Amino acid sequence: MSPRTKPSWTPWLYLAPALVVLGGLLAYPIYQLGLISFFQYTQAQVSGGEPTSFQGLGNYAELFGDDQFWQVLGATVVFAAACVVSTLAVGCALAVLLTRVRAVPRLALMLAALGAWATPAITGSTVWLFLFDPDFGPVNRVLGLGDHSWTYGRFSAFFLVLLEVVWCSFPFVMVTVYAGIRAVPAEVLEAAELDGASQWRVWRSVLAPMLRPILVVVTIQSVIWDFKVFTQIYVMTNGGGIAGQNLVLNVYAYQKAFASSQYSLGSAIGVVMLLILLAVTLGYLRLLRRQGEEL
Amino acid sequence: MKLPSRLAALLAAAAVITACAPQTSSNSSSDKDEKTGTLRVWLFQEVGNKPKEKVVDSVVTAFEKDHEGTKVDIEYIPIETRAQRVKAAFNDPKSAPDVMEYGNTDTAGYVKDGGLLDVTKEFGAWSETKDTDPTARQSVTVDGKIYGAPFYVGVRALYYRTDVFEELGLEVPKTMDELAATARKIRAAEPELYGLVVGGAYTYGAMPFVWANGGEIAEGKGGSYASAIDSAAAQKGIKAYTSLFSDDNCPAAKCAGMGGNDTVTAFAAGKAGMAIGGDFSHTAVEAGKVKGKYAVVPLPGVRAGSVAPAFAGGNNIGVLKSTSHRTLAVELMEQLTSKKTQASMFEAMGFLPTFSDVRQQVAAKEPYVEPFAQTLSAGTKFVPASPAWAQIDSSLVLPTMFQEVISGKKDVAAASADAAKKMNDAFASMG
Amino acid sequence: MRFVRSVTSLSFVRRPWRLLAETSALLIAVVVAFPLYWMVLSAFKPAGEIESSEPRPWTLAPSLDSFRRVFEQNEFGRYFLNSLVVACTVVIVSALIAFLAATAVTRFRFRLRTTLLIMFLVAQMVPVEALTIPLFFLMRDFGQLNTLGSLILPHIAFSLPFAIWMLRGFVKAVPEALEEAAYIDGASRSRFLWQILFPLVFPGLVATSVFSFISAWNDFLFAKSFIISDTSQSTLPMALLVFYKPDEPDWGGVMAASTVMTIPVLVFFVLVQRRLVSGLGGAVKD
Repeated sequence: MSPRTKPSWTPWLYLAPALVVLGGLLAYPIYQLGLISFFQYTQAQVSGGEPTSFQGLGNYAELFGDDQFWQVLGATVVFAAACVVSTLAVGCALAVLLTRVRAVPRLALMLAALGAWATPAITGSTVWLFLFDPDFGPVNRVLGLGDHSWTYGRFSAFFLVLLEVVWCSFPFVMVTVYAGIRAVPAEVLEAAELDGASQWRVWRSVLAPMLRPILVVVTIQSVIWDFKVFTQIYVMTNGGGIAGQNLVLNVYAYQKAFASSQYSLGSAIGVVMLLILLAVTLGYLRLLRRQGEEL
Repeated sequence: MKLPSRLAALLAAAAVITACAPQTSSNSSSDKDEKTGTLRVWLFQEVGNKPKEKVVDSVVTAFEKDHEGTKVDIEYIPIETRAQRVKAAFNDPKSAPDVMEYGNTDTAGYVKDGGLLDVTKEFGAWSETKDTDPTARQSVTVDGKIYGAPFYVGVRALYYRTDVFEELGLEVPKTMDELAATARKIRAAEPELYGLVVGGAYTYGAMPFVWANGGEIAEGKGGSYASAIDSAAAQKGIKAYTSLFSDDNCPAAKCAGMGGNDTVTAFAAGKAGMAIGGDFSHTAVEAGKVKGKYAVVPLPGVRAGSVAPAFAGGNNIGVLKSTSHRTLAVELMEQLTSKKTQASMFEAMGFLPTFSDVRQQVAAKEPYVEPFAQTLSAGTKFVPASPAWAQIDSSLVLPTMFQEVISGKKDVAAASADAAKKMNDAFASMG
Repeated sequence: MRFVRSVTSLSFVRRPWRLLAETSALLIAVVVAFPLYWMVLSAFKPAGEIESSEPRPWTLAPSLDSFRRVFEQNEFGRYFLNSLVVACTVVIVSALIAFLAATAVTRFRFRLRTTLLIMFLVAQMVPVEALTIPLFFLMRDFGQLNTLGSLILPHIAFSLPFAIWMLRGFVKAVPEALEEAAYIDGASRSRFLWQILFPLVFPGLVATSVFSFISAWNDFLFAKSFIISDTSQSTLPMALLVFYKPDEPDWGGVMAASTVMTIPVLVFFVLVQRRLVSGLGGAVKD
């Protein structure tokens, strides 16, 4: 069913509030962000009354010439990828599990997952930090690790943050995929069963293709969210870890802008992030197009 | 591709509208001078803040009684994140406080940012300031103008556990090498304790090691600075400090992330044999488990009998340029830093007064001041008096350098060279 | 190993497999819930027990001391209320705006429609944290700094794109025939919109509002950056950070404050649980 064509002003009327809000509070700040990234903009310009000066691509040149930037960029990509993969794997596996159990265990798992989902990022981060605290946390006692510090090593700190991120974001994947599986008509699966397909095969050749739109949605959302992780890193590694080893782009931009008042460098990092995510989006849109799906 | 081209067209359209430059705020001084209303004050949140609040409250009560129709609203802000708060305040004069406490290392930066009010005239007219000691006066002065009143001076010295030393038959260390050796002996005998608790983010605990070895943070020539943190002498000091982060003294996994307050807290909780703490840490240590079981001596230098140069820290109280209660705010600043307040603040928090005469009086009463006074008279050092310092400090250049060495990411030469480069960039960009 | 006859009816799953699946489901539920359990437990533990090197998974002497410290912190109730005001305003306003916008992009065909949809998708990519700088100046110029408005406005903007994107599916799912029937019955366009379409899309609105509620309730970056000096406008995450001093965290206080902060979201989730599951299913079914 395709929407009929109606008088052309009505949709714009409906869109007006959204466009006003998005234009003023999203598009305009983004424009400002881009602008700042081309100027010299430090505290002296912001509040000291010194004139701003146009730098062209100077800020970008400085950024790209900095080894730390590339290091942080690499860490961000790897970390986000690890988070996305783990979240999807855990979420999908548990969604399938949910369909195999009776009401009581299903409700238990669902409630536990909703609890994790509902936990604010900041409290989730502090709680996980406390669980892994070298002196008072239960995890080291159970594992017999003594006073091993999880936040000291680069990888173990990232791993700890990853656990928290997966914990609080798998429920979205699980609930969505579960809802999707429930919507698959039983006859389809019955037919597969009659053909004698194994479980893995049913997932691969029946469920996965049918769930494909859902999987694409949760993947793209996970990519967006995990690439922009801020609170968890900021709280759990105390602003970026020992000697900045656990910085990701978002925290790095924040530190550059607000701790060192290099607002223009911070903005340039923000622009780079935006461009990367834009590229991901375009890839996603192409995928949709190729499948002949309509927006 | 149809999609990207459409997007590109939109982006191009957006790019065409590049008329205006990013926003700035002219942080001009407010010309209002109201005689009633609410004064907002920001003070630092210290370890064990209650006694400080008490002294401040009594000053405020008296002030409010003297000035009918005025209310003073005090907020204690965390030291770690002060940079963001203060910057936000400079950026939005409307929500800025009227009076605030600030570290003396930030003076030059804040003046450059246009945040602090020039109080040269009032400071000169204030009778008590003839006794202000020259170091303290220097810490509120930029280009000959005065931007606040000194609140207290802070120097750090060596706290050690008398009971532990007695039990193990240890002597108080006389040189820096002895200090390290003693620390390791303590840790070896009492594995539960750190020998000398040190912190990777504890810049002012680390700098005496650099200074004692003849190093400098930066060398200034006629107002412009060049970093010297990668000189051979400085590197020797960095090596001396970072070698303390090992399993036989203070394990890197625990200590690399610590800052000054963490080390004091650990010592106060009885988890360390020695610590580098300030006169201002005295109250916190007294309130801890080690009360009555510790003593303080100046931090030993390289040669026996010498004292490692300490950082002449301390805080000032200033008035913000944007205040709309200029007269009241300046008066409150004077009340908060008066001889009387500083004397009670010393009793409450152990903050060393900035008036020479008051300091002598309290030293006569309280013997624990002695090692700090000795440290002060042995000669102190200060950070580069450049507006760039605030940026170097808040972008954690030195802590990052120490942490890189401690965690083995870089050797001393590479880490200090990187730090020097970052500092020079900052000096170059801010003059 | 043969596949089940139907995913929704379980009668044919073989017994041992089902038992195994149910045991692991319960075990996983325990693991997932454990951090929350530990949070609540620690909040009730007396001071000595929290900072003990032999933590026990129970307490025999529950104490309310940590909660007392939390509630005694100046104006904690106020912060709670502020957070609630921010989150609820954001939820309601963004739901209404998103509903209108989603209707426009699904039930009408017009020029730029696809472009707009792409823009909504792209808008979700924007790293919110990076916009703190320009938003700071924008809020200052609006005179909104230091007020709850400075938190509400940006959150409405940031939750809109995702809400619109999600609501599309719900609006699309309402049969076109229904709309035609309504018009034949003489209903006006706004009557159709609010009295017929809105109730039908409501479950979707609930599912969507979960996301905007969480993002507004969780926010600590904006609160930290925009509420500069007026402590009466502070929100819960700020109050939580007071207990989390890096040098000496008051774990009891942190856990108690975390518990207080988590409860409203949990309540909200339990209330909308059913709608959420069916809602997410609906959002992606199209």
